[in-house]
Amino acid sequence: MLNISPISTKLSECPTPTELNQRSILYEKCCKMELIAKVSKGSRMDQVYIPKHRPGLNVGSYVVVKQLEVLEKVQEKPYYYNIKYIEPIKLEIINKIFNIINKNGIVDNIIITGSFLEKGFNFNDIDIITISNNKIDSKYIENLIKTNIGIKAHLILLSNKAIIEGLATDPLYNLMLSECISKKRLIYKIKKKINYKILDLHLLKSKSLLDNFDILSGKEKYSLTRNMVSISLFIENKKINYEILNKEIRMLLDLKNVDEIKQNRINKKSFLKNYNKIYKKTFNKIMKKIKNGSKQK
Amino acid sequence: MVQNRNKLIDLFIGNVSNSIIHEIFEKSIDDENISSRYEKELTTSFNIAKKYREKINPIDRKLPDKDIECIKTKITNKIRSELLLRISKGYENIDLDLIEELVNRRLKSLKIL
Repeated sequence: MLNISPISTKLSECPTPTELNQRSILYEKCCKMELIAKVSKGSRMDQVYIPKHRPGLNVGSYVVVKQLEVLEKVQEKPYYYNIKYIEPIKLEIINKIFNIINKNGIVDNIIITGSFLEKGFNFNDIDIITISNNKIDSKYIENLIKTNIGIKAHLILLSNKAIIEGLATDPLYNLMLSECISKKRLIYKIKKKINYKILDLHLLKSKSLLDNFDILSGKEKYSLTRNMVSISLFIENKKINYEILNKEIRMLLDLKNVDEIKQNRINKKSFLKNYNKIYKKTFNKIMKKIKNGSKQK
Repeated sequence: MVQNRNKLIDLFIGNVSNSIIHEIFEKSIDDENISSRYEKELTTSFNIAKKYREKINPIDRKLPDKDIECIKTKITNKIRSELLLRISKGYENIDLDLIEELVNRRLKSLKIL
């Protein structure tokens, strides 16, 4: 946008709009005139069009052409994936996070996921995935978010290649992106590749619940259970999202609600019995595949 | 407080074991894709173990002998049983002789020994 005015015009006086056409907004006050117009592309030279009938800016007079302060940038709408409801204040926070990250690094996309998107305010931090092939100082951005918004952020930096690989091989990536809000549209054409050794690696984490039941918090127990059950769904080629996963957890572990795990209100004996059964079943399935198919290279 | 310390030691043992298991897995394969995952996991577990170590007294010097013995035995047994289980299920090239050396190295770097 450019601001054109005769050299003698006092810019401090505020003009009122009197005429509007497609190319320009015309302001006039007495004999002074200001014009806001777009620079048009020409074949040999670019130009600014002004109305033929105008009070002032006579042909032959000298004018100042200068850059107008750009109007506040319109906030782009983020993309929602399986988000049924989100509190308006959380949206404001998300927009602020997008702005902070964009100002401090070149990223292809920003994805918000995890417990922050669940209804209510029972979250510890905000999980943010940044997709970029450039290096970003994650600690610096996490600190900026903490200072500006007052919420702890957990920034996960992934390259485009890593996220595609993750979605193809890792059930937790599928789960993370099953419910999320992203700055730009997510377009990933993924062909599932089951690598049983990697799944064994992920499943091993969940074993710690059997050894450390008494010392783990409800949230840690839920996270390990979720990890195990998502692997079980993944190898059965089933779709993974939070709703399906929680339903499966309730069914397999004989619970009314998954909040029983999160709030540490579970019966240790029956929970561990069921958990151990699922763990062994999943582990054996993975091991069978490793034995039958993929020999170590 | 004693109970808290025991909890912390148990969590510490779990993470050090996990880290060493993945290091041994990592040494057993040539597939760069999986190997990098093992490496990432071993680093994550080791960093968590470090955080638990920072909360176990005495923080800045080695632990009492009876604690050392107990921690070392638990870690070694845990690693051995996980590895043996996988060897029986078809994993190849897993070197069990690495366990002792890696356990000692890790515990020294974490000021347990």
